[in-house]
Amino acid sequence: MARLLFWKPKVEDEVSDELAFHLEMRVRELVERGMPPEAARAEALRRFGNLAGVADACRSEGTRRDRTMRRTEWLGELRQDLAYGCRTLLRNPGFSVLALVTLGIGIGATTAIFSAVNAVILQPLDVPAVGRVMLISEEWHGLRSNVSVGNYIDWTAANTARPMFSAMGTINWGNFTLTGGDQPERVLGARANTSYFRVMQVAPQIGRVFSEEEDRPGGPRVVVLSHRLWARRFASDSAVLRQTLPLNGQPYQIIGVMPPGFDFTAGTEEFWLPAAFTPEQRAQHDEHYLTVYGRLAPGATREAADAMLRPVMKGLSERYPDANGKNTILIEPMMAQFVGDARQQLWLVLGAVALVMLIACANVANLLLARGAARAREFAIRASIGAGKSRLLRQLLAESGVLALAAAVGGLGVAGLVIRTLVAAAPPGVPRLEQARLDPATLAFALLLSLLSVVVFGLAPALRAAATDLQSTLRTGQSRGGGTGRDWLRQGLVTAEVALALVLLVAATLLVRTAIHLQRLDPGFEPRGVVTARLSLPAEGYAAPESARQAFETVLTNLAAAPGVGRAALVTQVPMGPGGSDNGLVPEGKPLNGENAVGARFRLVSLGYFTTMGIPVRRGRDFTPDDRAGAPRAMVVNETLARALFPGQDPIGKRVACCEGAREDPKWKTIVGVVGDVRSQGPDQAVATEFFLPIAQAPDPAWTWVGRTMNLVVRGRGDPLALTPALREAVRRVDPGLPLYRIGTMESVLSGSLVAVRFRTALLAALAGIGLLLAMVGIYGVVAFLVTRRRSEIGVRMALGASPRDVLRLVVGQGLRPVLAGIVLGGVAAFATTRLLASWLRGVTPTDPTTFAGVALALVAVAIAASLIPARRATRVQAVEAMRAD
Amino acid sequence: MTQPQADLLHGTLDVLVLKTLTWGPRHGYAIARWLEGTSGEALRIEEGSLYPALYRMERKGWITADWGLSELGRKAKFYRLTPAGRARLRQEIAAWRRLAGVVGHILEAAG
Repeated sequence: MARLLFWKPKVEDEVSDELAFHLEMRVRELVERGMPPEAARAEALRRFGNLAGVADACRSEGTRRDRTMRRTEWLGELRQDLAYGCRTLLRNPGFSVLALVTLGIGIGATTAIFSAVNAVILQPLDVPAVGRVMLISEEWHGLRSNVSVGNYIDWTAANTARPMFSAMGTINWGNFTLTGGDQPERVLGARANTSYFRVMQVAPQIGRVFSEEEDRPGGPRVVVLSHRLWARRFASDSAVLRQTLPLNGQPYQIIGVMPPGFDFTAGTEEFWLPAAFTPEQRAQHDEHYLTVYGRLAPGATREAADAMLRPVMKGLSERYPDANGKNTILIEPMMAQFVGDARQQLWLVLGAVALVMLIACANVANLLLARGAARAREFAIRASIGAGKSRLLRQLLAESGVLALAAAVGGLGVAGLVIRTLVAAAPPGVPRLEQARLDPATLAFALLLSLLSVVVFGLAPALRAAATDLQSTLRTGQSRGGGTGRDWLRQGLVTAEVALALVLLVAATLLVRTAIHLQRLDPGFEPRGVVTARLSLPAEGYAAPESARQAFETVLTNLAAAPGVGRAALVTQVPMGPGGSDNGLVPEGKPLNGENAVGARFRLVSLGYFTTMGIPVRRGRDFTPDDRAGAPRAMVVNETLARALFPGQDPIGKRVACCEGAREDPKWKTIVGVVGDVRSQGPDQAVATEFFLPIAQAPDPAWTWVGRTMNLVVRGRGDPLALTPALREAVRRVDPGLPLYRIGTMESVLSGSLVAVRFRTALLAALAGIGLLLAMVGIYGVVAFLVTRRRSEIGVRMALGASPRDVLRLVVGQGLRPVLAGIVLGGVAAFATTRLLASWLRGVTPTDPTTFAGVALALVAVAIAASLIPARRATRVQAVEAMRAD
Repeated sequence: MTQPQADLLHGTLDVLVLKTLTWGPRHGYAIARWLEGTSGEALRIEEGSLYPALYRMERKGWITADWGLSELGRKAKFYRLTPAGRARLRQEIAAWRRLAGVVGHILEAAG
């Protein structure tokens, strides 16, 4: 029986041929038995049965059979391709590890940062149509300022502006003492009105928010909890509505719990009380402390709302010139406020990460190009023994797929690690960063990136390899493939890598130099050995200014007597600490109005504050016990304020109006001393104008401005934190119910103020380091390839008497060419882009020549180091062997 | 005594075909002849119904076919068993034996 090889008919013919054969055989048999042909044919058909039906059934079965077979075959080939891809990757472990590590790091870092950007910037707040919610502020000399109650009430009452907003609500924050736990604690709470919740359009998860009736002076004590406080304090008990919350010594009935998404930032308020403005507050235009949000009415725009509200504010400024001065309004989307500086920071980091990813891609492209060239011969052979072009392509795609998938898996591992590190190391206050996690969108992003990079860079060389003329490839035996065109491409890739790495390195170096500068900067005080803690007095029992003053002074007396305490003092706000307030100061001789006021940070201090903190008195004197109530009012200013108030004059003995009094009796305060500037807002911020008043002469309303809260500052001998028990004891002896919080050394406060700086510096330095490493790998790869390609040439040169030194110079020189081009290109790019960093730089300019030169030199050194390894290999080439090999 | 059942139990045809092919590749007509010869009148089927069964088994991968030349020099489609078909046959035979055993048991006990 001979087989007819390779002959496969269509199903149609197959079935009719087969059935015809059957009938024919049967007829022949019957005829042989003696039946006449006609009868035999009829008998065969009868025995066969329904011929048409059978043929149909066979044809449909046959079609299905062929489809199944094609699929199995395809799957089998795919499995073969994948297995082959895995085998090739395993056979070249050097290539595979390099490609995987490069891609994994690139994908991992990009995915992690994308997750963070996604959480902080792209994910909107949990507020419906958040883009319609506007932050409405007063604008004072170009600065965003809070709104006074009177102004807010008049805005909402204005007939022209009202239709622009479907709701306009207000909120303001304060610290409260929460008792009932192990220790009394200070928590941030907010006073809001019902309209605030209407603006946000967020319904409580449990219960309700307060009604208009409850939001009035003397109304019921009710409180709405944040999800965080509910979970922390009540263990998410659903029966919470029957309980009360003891705030400032008063029980507040819990009426609702907001959903988790209503905690906009990590450090926001933990509960809401009704604002309950009194008639006096509603008529008060002077104290600007409200935050106002408005939801744009359907059809209204920000511009239209601005145009309607601006004249209303103009009218208010004319009616209350002392209170409002030339204040105008500022309407901006609420999101802008929540994202703020973090947005810029994340975009810049994302930009840096994109550069790293580009370097990684260039590297992988180079690797794949080299491999594609090396495999040109393999493809030529495979094609010549019958592999179709589509089959070759499919095999390459499968290989790329295996590589991309493996890189994506590795990259996701890296990303998880980076996200965890990022969330742990980030400075507090980056909103919603803690919500960053590997979500499906990010996963898709990683897969797409990895597939894209491998397919683009894997397929292009593959296509070229496949398109190479097989005949010529085989004939010339150009096993290491590639002409000058390909060399050009590879060197171009290295140039790009070096340029990108240079941009990253320059940016990172500028930030590192900023961080060093800030670290060395004199903060203006001596933080070593000082411990500080905050102490708040409740309104109940301490509402009278005199009783607050006495309580604080007793604490100070107790402290001074405690063992181990060197010096002790009180201040309403330590440098870089929370609290404090601002006031306008008018020097004597100018009309007493808002126009002539110089804004300055206000601090109440006890005797000995400046010596305790190590702040030098530059002129005049420190406060003395003689600066008591009834004596002439004394004031100390810092150098910056002295210059602002009395430019070019001696400020000592000059008088200033501030903080209290009326036009008839401005309660003049005499400047008795000038102290050195302190970088109170943090080392990276400009020095602010500041003034100090002694506790004994504190204006009566001052205690309310500072929330009856002061910092104890104690300089001890030895470990400052060892003084903590003494601090607690000094307070306990005055009133055991008083909370002492934010206990820490001034050194930790100072270094804490640099957390953000250090974070972004470390982040960019790490990215730049990765970029440099990847670029190094790229340079190494190209030089190594160069050496392999020019083996025979090098061999000839050495045979003709070139020394190893000459060869070294030749190879390294060749390797350096694209690097130098990259340095020039990158320098230009860095020069154009480092301006983006300007707001973060201190003590160094964005185009600092030392930094640029240093980075360029470092890159040259790295490039030489990277090309030395393959170059040394070149010097060991044996001439004869090299020539024989080709 | 009743007439022997003329219909084939479901799946029986497949087993018989597979069994036929254990002796080597055959074309459809040869298979039909063998079925006729071995089972005689007891298993009378319409010859045509053999072919859809062959195509189905081909799809399932139990048998495979090649075109070759018949004894008389005529082009014919030859079927042969695949390893999967051989395994299938073993399964079917085992199942048959079990069934026969159980039924025999019941009948003897009842008789």
